[in-house]
Amino acid sequence: MNRMNKMTVMQSVVWPLLLWPCLQTVSIPLDCREDQGGLNSCPSISQEKLLDRVIQHAELIYRVSEESCSLFEEMFIPFELQLQRNQAGYACITKALPIPSSRSEIQQISDKWLLHSVLMLVQSWIEPLVYLQTSLNLYDVAPDTLLNKTKWVSEKLISLEQGVVVLIKKMLAEGLLTTNSEQGLFHNDAQPEMLESVMRDYTLLSCFKKDAHKMETFLKLLKCRQTDIYNCA
Amino acid sequence: MAFSSYSSSLLLILLMSSLGWLSSPGSAFLTDREHLTSSAIVKPYITECISTNQETFRCWWSQGDFHNLSSPGALQIFYHKKGFGSHWEECPEYIYPNRECFFDRNHTSIWTLYCVELRSQNNITYFNECFNVENIVRPDPPISLNWTLLNVSPSGLSYDVMVNWESPPSADVKAGWMRIEYEMQYREKNSTEWEALEMQPHTKQTIFGLHIGKEYQVHIRCRMPAFIRFGEFSDSIFIQVTEISIKDSTFPLTLVLVFGAVGILILIMLVVVSQQHRFMMILLPPVPAPKIKGIDPEMLKKGKLDELNFILSGGGMGGLPTYAQDFYQDEPWVEFIEVDAEDTDTGEKEDNQGSDTQRLLGLCHPASHHMNTGRSNAVSFPDDDSGRASCYDPDLPEQDTLMLMATLLPGQTEDVEASFNVVERAPAPERGERPLVQTQTGGPQTWVNTDFYAQVSNVMPSGGVVLSPGQQLRIQESTSATEEEMQKKGKSSEDTEDKRQKELQFQMLMVDPEGSGYTTESIARQISTPPAPPMPGEGYQTIQPQPVETKPAAMAEDNQSPYILPDSSQSQFFAPVADYTVVQEVDSQHSLLLKPPARQSPPPCMPQHPLKALPAMPMGYITPDLLGNLAP
Repeated sequence: MNRMNKMTVMQSVVWPLLLWPCLQTVSIPLDCREDQGGLNSCPSISQEKLLDRVIQHAELIYRVSEESCSLFEEMFIPFELQLQRNQAGYACITKALPIPSSRSEIQQISDKWLLHSVLMLVQSWIEPLVYLQTSLNLYDVAPDTLLNKTKWVSEKLISLEQGVVVLIKKMLAEGLLTTNSEQGLFHNDAQPEMLESVMRDYTLLSCFKKDAHKMETFLKLLKCRQTDIYNCA
Repeated sequence: MAFSSYSSSLLLILLMSSLGWLSSPGSAFLTDREHLTSSAIVKPYITECISTNQETFRCWWSQGDFHNLSSPGALQIFYHKKGFGSHWEECPEYIYPNRECFFDRNHTSIWTLYCVELRSQNNITYFNECFNVENIVRPDPPISLNWTLLNVSPSGLSYDVMVNWESPPSADVKAGWMRIEYEMQYREKNSTEWEALEMQPHTKQTIFGLHIGKEYQVHIRCRMPAFIRFGEFSDSIFIQVTEISIKDSTFPLTLVLVFGAVGILILIMLVVVSQQHRFMMILLPPVPAPKIKGIDPEMLKKGKLDELNFILSGGGMGGLPTYAQDFYQDEPWVEFIEVDAEDTDTGEKEDNQGSDTQRLLGLCHPASHHMNTGRSNAVSFPDDDSGRASCYDPDLPEQDTLMLMATLLPGQTEDVEASFNVVERAPAPERGERPLVQTQTGGPQTWVNTDFYAQVSNVMPSGGVVLSPGQQLRIQESTSATEEEMQKKGKSSEDTEDKRQKELQFQMLMVDPEGSGYTTESIARQISTPPAPPMPGEGYQTIQPQPVETKPAAMAEDNQSPYILPDSSQSQFFAPVADYTVVQEVDSQHSLLLKPPARQSPPPCMPQHPLKALPAMPMGYITPDLLGNLAP
């Protein structure tokens, strides 16, 4: 059932996203104006449906990232070093982002800010995931499932970003000109030692899992606000 | 360098692990406590930190064996949010009776790493744990469980139930803040094991296949999808459905009908199978095979003609019973055609050659018996499986019948008069081998006409047709043995050609002044014992054109010489020849050897044969060459 949901969600989300003809680099927003006349081949999708699909996408991403993290933990992390128990030293890369992290805070921010937070999160994780993929490929004993999952996640994250951009454009009626200016968050140092790289990858996976959950929650809250503004306290 | 860095990282790991052990001996509530070694003294520890709604959370502690620290305030909880500064803060709200520390919404940050510590007043840290709040969420159990009956199976033994509930009120599912999925478990009331159904996010679920009369217990618990911690189980509800009256149900009735029908079918099958023979007789009556009582068909196949003759003549134990003409009178299906010895037979279906010819020519003795050629088949007592033509005339006197029967088969070489003992013949189409009948009963030399066909003996130049007269009875010579062989061989002419090479070299065609122009081989042999060059003579041997299995026509056409091989001694010989002469064999020169006639007694009626003087004239056939000779 999870698999089926995943597939249907993937198909339902990716397909409309891929219909946009102006698919270019990662951060450039899709230019799908209808006033361009003959060149217009964008099928219109309702904002509600788009939001639904973006949410489904985020849910899936979170689920797969959680599975990846569990797999990694099982294989490479001894019990004593598991992150939940001992958080020494390794912090997530996105901790510096100005993103609300409590329910009360979230209730106070606007829709716009909510969406932008999501976008920030998504954009900040695109490159680290690529790095993670290359790092995992260097392992000798990394199982294919793990590699496939991480690869899938990094691909879908890009789709998610595109969806969010369109959503912002539709909901907030603002174009997005800036690309990912958060590149500096992630510093790819010199090739670390094996053990360190394992820990690093583990941290990456855990942090990404956490942030994926955050994205999903934000989008759902946003949806609630769209539909029923009074009860979404 | 590599070694040093490697060793340093190894040391780091060891340090971390040891640090963890030292600083927080009891930091195990996030995982299972199973790995905790039971030591002598249990230090104070934080039992668990749980959030039910992902907005607040609580931590409980215990003093362990340190009972002096059981008073409130002796132990304190400090927390610290990683990434927000390393400032430790004390628990925002204590609930001492519960030994609980409550973190409200303002103090709870999701997706943030919390580290909590249990400290005593003297700043001794007994416990340390770090977690993210979303990872410690255990949702409350669902509420308002109820069930409804969906349906009952046709057998009335099992039923399906739909269970409904509501999401826990503490979890803000509607706003999308939390996603929850439910796991339902049920069991029979007295059982110890729970049956778990698949997790799903909806607030209803169907249970299939519950049994009537049993009581079931159902409870549900929640968790966030892709998280590992479940909430508590809800309160159980009990499901029970007692026996339902099935007055409306047609199930038993249909069942009874079905079983009844099946039973009846089985019964019918049994009856049919047991009475199979009778059914088969009724539905598919057997086709009677040709059969003569007392004669084994195998004998005929194997060609044991001696035995056959013996049997047919009535000899031995297996002799055929004498013909009982009374027998037939009871059988309405047996058609009897009256054969009047005196009168001309008008009821015959087939040509009666001799009589007709003689009548035509006005030469014959009227005392002739006619037989219907249709009776060429052996007359036998009625059989159940007899397929013979029913054409025996019961009115004839027995001896007449015997005589008739004797002359039944064409080419038969038996004295009918003497054949009173013999009633039956084998239904050989070519001949009936009769055992030698020596006795001459001394009956009148009746003229038994066996001319079933009016045979054209010759064609007159004027255009008229000379028919060969009827013929007399014949006595089988003592050549029965050889005839037997010859008969056998006659049937398969080509096969026996080699064998007969030592036999007669000649094929004689003899004119039978009174007969149909056939002669038999034995007679032919008599006529010319030494192999003599063929000579045209008076005698002809006609080749029976008919029911010989071989192809006399073909043979005849090929060989002209056999037609013209009379012997000088033939001229003296006027042996009557049966109208049907069985071709016994074809010799090497492709001439047909016919079966010799029974007797050479001159028939009473001997029409002149105009062709006597003609050389080598075949009776039945006129080859083109001969035709030239014929035509004057």
